Amino acid sequence: MTLSLVLHDWRLLERIVGLTNRLGCAYTSVNVRSGESLYHATIEFAGPPDALRRLDAQLTRLLNDDKEMSR
Amino acid sequence: MLEEGAPIVSESAAATGAQLVLDVLADEGVEVVFGYPGGAIMPLYDAMVGHPMQHILTRHEAAAAFAAGGYARSSGRVGVCMATSGPGATNLVTGILDSQMDSIPIVAITGQVRSELMGTDGFQEADVTSIMGPVTKRSVCVRDVRDLEKMLRAAFRVARGPRPGPVLVDIPSDILKAKVPRMDYFAPRPIPPALERPDDATIDAALELLRTAQRPVAIVGGGARSANAVHLFREFCGMLELPHTATINGLGCATPGDPNFLGMLGMHGYKAANLAVNAADVVFALGMRFDDRVTGRPDKFARGAQIVHADVDASEFGKIIPVKVALRGDLRATLTALVRRAAQQQMPRFAGWAAEAKAYGGALPADRAPHGELSATDALDAFFAVAPDDAIVTTDVGQHQMWAAQRQRAIHPRNFITSAGLGSMGFGLPAAIGAQMANPQRTVVAICGDGGFQMSIAELATLRRFALPVKILLIDNQRLGMVRQWQELFYDRRYSHTDLSDNPDFVAVARAYGVRAERVEDAGELRDALERFFRAKEPSLLHCACFPAENVWPLIPPGATVHDAMDGAPEAIPA
Repeated sequence: MTLSLVLHDWRLLERIVGLTNRLGCAYTSVNVRSGESLYHATIEFAGPPDALRRLDAQLTRLLNDDKEMSR
Repeated sequence: MLEEGAPIVSESAAATGAQLVLDVLADEGVEVVFGYPGGAIMPLYDAMVGHPMQHILTRHEAAAAFAAGGYARSSGRVGVCMATSGPGATNLVTGILDSQMDSIPIVAITGQVRSELMGTDGFQEADVTSIMGPVTKRSVCVRDVRDLEKMLRAAFRVARGPRPGPVLVDIPSDILKAKVPRMDYFAPRPIPPALERPDDATIDAALELLRTAQRPVAIVGGGARSANAVHLFREFCGMLELPHTATINGLGCATPGDPNFLGMLGMHGYKAANLAVNAADVVFALGMRFDDRVTGRPDKFARGAQIVHADVDASEFGKIIPVKVALRGDLRATLTALVRRAAQQQMPRFAGWAAEAKAYGGALPADRAPHGELSATDALDAFFAVAPDDAIVTTDVGQHQMWAAQRQRAIHPRNFITSAGLGSMGFGLPAAIGAQMANPQRTVVAICGDGGFQMSIAELATLRRFALPVKILLIDNQRLGMVRQWQELFYDRRYSHTDLSDNPDFVAVARAYGVRAERVEDAGELRDALERFFRAKEPSLLHCACFPAENVWPLIPPGATVHDAMDGAPEAIPA
C-alpha cells in the first residue's frame, strides 16, 4: 500500500511509524519533501491486508486532526 | 518541583504568553483547571494570581488529569489540566490516555524547560510531545509565542471533535514569559467543521434491514453521550419497541424503567443482553466500538446478525466486526435522520421479541456472604436503592466497578462515570472531584475499592481544602478483588500479591484529612449508615468492610463466548 500524505506538522512521521509498528505493519520506503508550510510524504507500507486497512483508516483520522490543528 | 536556576518572575498582568493562555482558556469557556505547579510552569501559575480562573490543586498530577476527565464526562465541556515539565508531565500520561480511550475532550497544558535547554537533558526536561503523541489526538509544542493563541484555540477545536479526545499543548517557560499582543476578542475564529451525517439512501438501507428483521437489538455506547444524542436514542428505541442494551459507557442512555432495556452487555453483562445479541438477526450498534470486553471472541459475536454500525469515526468500521451498513457521521444527526425516516415509513414494532429477549435472563447471580459478614453486592444494592435519582456516581476499577455497573440506575450517561476503556485504578476519587466542580449542586459519589482508593487517597486533602461534598463509598474486601477472582478461576487459586489484608484504618486516615468517616461491617447497620452518609453536607467516607471471597457474576471468560458464561458455579470453569 502506497500513500501520499500531506503533513502540516512533520513530527507526525513519528506517529505514523509508531502506528505502523503497533498494527503489525512495516514501511518499505519513505520519501518526504518539505514545501513552504507543508510536508509531502510518500510511504510504502507492507503488512496483512486487514492491518493495512486499519492503518489507512487511522492515518486518515490522524491527518484530519493535523489539518484542523493548523487552521 | 522547582526548576533550578529559573529566574523568579512576577510580572504584572501584562500581555505575556502566560496571560494569553489564561485569557484564551476563559474565552473558550473554561472556568476551572486542575493542576499542580512546578518550575517550568511557574509563569503560568504566577499569572493566575488575581485572575478569575479557578484552579484546583490536586495532590498528584495524575489526579489532575483524571479530574479534568471527570469534569468533561459529567458536563460535556472540555476539561483542562496542567502540570510542569518532566515528571509533572509524565504523571499526566495515564489520565490523558484514559480520556483518549473513552473519547473524552480534555486539553492538557504542560510547562516545558526554556527553549534553549530543550534537548540538553536539562533538569526536569522530557520530550513530552513525543511521549504524549500516542496517547492524544494531537500533541504539540509551542516554539514561537506568536503561534500560542492559534495553537490553543486549535487544541480546543480538536479536543471537542468530531470524535472528542485529549490534546496536549507543551509550552516552554520562555514562551510563557514572552511579550505578546493581547488577545483580540473580536478576531474572526475558524468555524468548527460541519457535522457529518449519512445520506438518506444509507439511512434507508439501515432501516430496510430493520424492517425485515425478526430479532433486532440495538447497542448503545459512549458515542450517544458525546454527541448529546441520548434523547434521540430513546425516541428511536421507543418508536420501534426495540430491545436494547448498552456498553458500560452507554449506561444511562436507556429511558429509565424502559422494559425493553436488557441491561449492560459484555463480560459482566446481563444474561438477557448477551443472549439477545447472540440471537439477533440485526444489530444496530450506535456510538460503540466493539471492545473485547463487549464482544468476547469477535468471530463468535452476533454471528447470525447483520450489523449496522453508526459512528463518527470511520476508522471504527470493520475494525473488529464486519459491518453490513456503515452510518458515518455525528450520532445526533444520524439518529435524527433514522427517527425522521422511520416515522415516514411503515416500520414494524418489536415488543414481542423484546419480551422474549428479556426472558432470556433473570436476576443477577451473587455469592452469599458468610453469616454475619457484609457482602459488597448487598452494600451496593442498598446504596443504589436510596441514592438520589440525579446523583452522579463515579467508580474506580475492579470488582466494585462491575457490581456498580450492573446495579446503577443512572438517568443519563453523564451520571455514571467510569474508566471504561483504559481501566485506570485511582480514577474514581479524582473523577468525582472533577464531576463535583462541574455540578456543584448535585450529589456526587465515588465508589471505590480498597486498592484503587489508595492510589488516589491523598486527594482527600483536595476534598477538604475546597470543601467539596463528595461522598466516597469504599468497598473494602482487603484484596485486589478482580485479580484475586481471576487467580481463583483461571490460575488454580494461586493468589499472587493480591492480599491487602494489612490495609490501614481507612476511617482514621479519612479523619486525619478532616473528612467525615464511618465504618460498617454488618448488613444490618447499612441502612442507617447510608442515611447519615447522604445527609452529610461535608466530604464523607462510608467504609464498607466486606468479605473477601465474593466474585462478580455473570462472567464470560476472556476470549470466550456467551455460551461459556459462568454464573458462580466453579465446576463450570472451562479447561
